[in-house]
Amino acid sequence: MTLSHPARPRRSPRGGPILDRRQLLGRLGVLAGAGVVGPALLAACGDDDDGDTGGGGGASKDLWFANWPAYIDEETVDLFTEASGISLKYTEDYNDNNEYFAKVQADLAAGRSIGPDIIAPTYWLAARLITLGWVQEIPFDDIPNASNLLPELQKPAWDPEGKFSLPWQSGMTGLAYNISATGRELTSMNDLFDPAFKGKVGMLTEMRDTLGLVMLLTGEDPGSATMDSANPAFEKIEEAKASGHIRQFTGNDYMDDLAAGNFAVCVGWSGDIGQLALDNPDLRFAIPEEGGMRWSDTMVLPNGAENVANAAVWMDYVYDPENAARIAEYVGYNSPVAGVREILAAGDDFQKALSESPLLFPDDATNARLHVFASLDEDAEAAFDERFSQIVGA
Amino acid sequence: MAGRDAADDGDRSKRRAGLVPYALLSPGMLWLLLFFLVPLVTLARTSLSEKESRFAVDADFTWHIANFTDALRDYSDQFIRSFAYAGAATLLCVAIGYPMAYVIAFRGGRFKNVLLGLVVVPFFTSFLIRTLAWQTVLFDSGPILSVLDSLSLVGVLERIGVARNGGLLQTHASVIGGLTYNFLPFMILPIYVSLEKIDLRLTEAAKDLYNNGWQAFRKVVLPLSLPGVFAGGLLTFIPAAGDFVNARFLGGPNNTMIGSVVQDRFLVQLDYPTAAALSFILMVIITLATLVYARILGTDDLV
Repeated sequence: MTLSHPARPRRSPRGGPILDRRQLLGRLGVLAGAGVVGPALLAACGDDDDGDTGGGGGASKDLWFANWPAYIDEETVDLFTEASGISLKYTEDYNDNNEYFAKVQADLAAGRSIGPDIIAPTYWLAARLITLGWVQEIPFDDIPNASNLLPELQKPAWDPEGKFSLPWQSGMTGLAYNISATGRELTSMNDLFDPAFKGKVGMLTEMRDTLGLVMLLTGEDPGSATMDSANPAFEKIEEAKASGHIRQFTGNDYMDDLAAGNFAVCVGWSGDIGQLALDNPDLRFAIPEEGGMRWSDTMVLPNGAENVANAAVWMDYVYDPENAARIAEYVGYNSPVAGVREILAAGDDFQKALSESPLLFPDDATNARLHVFASLDEDAEAAFDERFSQIVGA
Repeated sequence: MAGRDAADDGDRSKRRAGLVPYALLSPGMLWLLLFFLVPLVTLARTSLSEKESRFAVDADFTWHIANFTDALRDYSDQFIRSFAYAGAATLLCVAIGYPMAYVIAFRGGRFKNVLLGLVVVPFFTSFLIRTLAWQTVLFDSGPILSVLDSLSLVGVLERIGVARNGGLLQTHASVIGGLTYNFLPFMILPIYVSLEKIDLRLTEAAKDLYNNGWQAFRKVVLPLSLPGVFAGGLLTFIPAAGDFVNARFLGGPNNTMIGSVVQDRFLVQLDYPTAAALSFILMVIITLATLVYARILGTDDLV
């Protein structure tokens, strides 16, 4: 199945939408409906340093959220400060799960603060942090909007008690391709191994995404992966690498290769392709017929985080469907907040189109074909990582 | 009495003079001790340690020699590849750098300093940025490939192994090319320095003795410039063998070098003992290679 994406306002690559005046006014009109146009205009005047408005009564007015790049719209941070009086330091320095873990590991193990109050590990790293006891419980009592969390994301496998994490965005992993290079629509994982694309195929260094998809092709369930059940998939990837079929294993930079024509087809993430397709309508995304992977990036509070109360205010804010809709509209992934679709459906034409996009709101049939990779214990994870890195790096 | 005083003074000043070199050396020695010896010993210790669990921060020192044997067994391909790439890049650097240095030194005239400046100018930009720029230049839709394509040269390049599957990236050639480009100035500058010192009247003398131009070069200029080639070879080969940036951005999964493995072991696998063992093996091989190399080309003239 091929998922197409509605046309959106032109956006600079990996940056914010480029709005012309009319669109900006239109956008402000939407906000007026939500009763926040005043603060928005104030924010637009560049006055983003008034931490004294609003109540709260807490000792500290600070909060630091370290998130992935290009993962929030341009208004929400300022609007949050206007609404809550909390000065939010929002950094985009979370680039890679493994590297971030390596960076903070020593401090967290020693019980020292790592700086940010909220970080955004992907679900499997959140699971590791929870198992290691390196994150704090989220004060759900202070987050009434957490009840808006979609039912299927409550008490997920990576956080069985649902106490330590709250999803930031979810997304799908499938086939990303450049139809001008492939010459046809792709529907199956077999297409990734089509000899016609030799040397023009990319895979992600994010193991669970790449391996999960290939496991589905070999007829195994990634949701209950063991070293044995994953072995045929490992061998298939290894063989494709050795023969030169796979050109490169990449992180986020797969988008450059796809757009530049170095890749005809690769493993990719749903939201990215929506963004890229604005510049290059030849880029497509498909959940292969064998199935796709589903993942979530989470918000967790690392041990030593000082501003937990403010973090709760932030989480409550972004779990308000109005705010969640604004973020979802920008990032193009799957919002974990119920009610976002209805809000977009009631918006302007562009938002209405988004509310019908299968990339943002996959239908039940698609959802049924999405898998979440198994939770691996420490030893299994080490074995998987070892095997995968020998393939990627050898 | 006076004579003895003078002798005492002489002794004392001699003693003082004996201490001066040490005093002058001490900042450097302290620096080496702190930033070379201490890390080296730590690295050696780590390379012989075992981690109790994967996410333990500290490894326990247990004389775990298996780190070395495992590393050599699992990563021999990357070791061989690293030294092959670095060797090829060094040879290319000599082939390209020597004529350049020669022209700048002897034919540069009043443009000598400008030309030298041009050699150094790329250093004003970060190493990483320059490598990424090459990636963009060599993209499948990039300028070089489209020119080659319009000249129908891609097929020829594929046959000689420079291009693969219609692309220039992710090949042995692209990684070696990147290494050559990035380390070329380290070859040109020392060769230039040793050429510049040569008294050209020596070649005139050689010609007076019935040498033709080529013989004069081979028997006079080349031997006198060998110390520069030697130094340039070291400055190119050693960092190139440990480099991982070129392999990462210009190479593919079949072009990884040992530097990438060390990085992956340290940062992704959190396997510090293996990473340390790999670093140590790399260091030992490079030291041995340097010693052999010094024996062959000779270091006596190297100053």
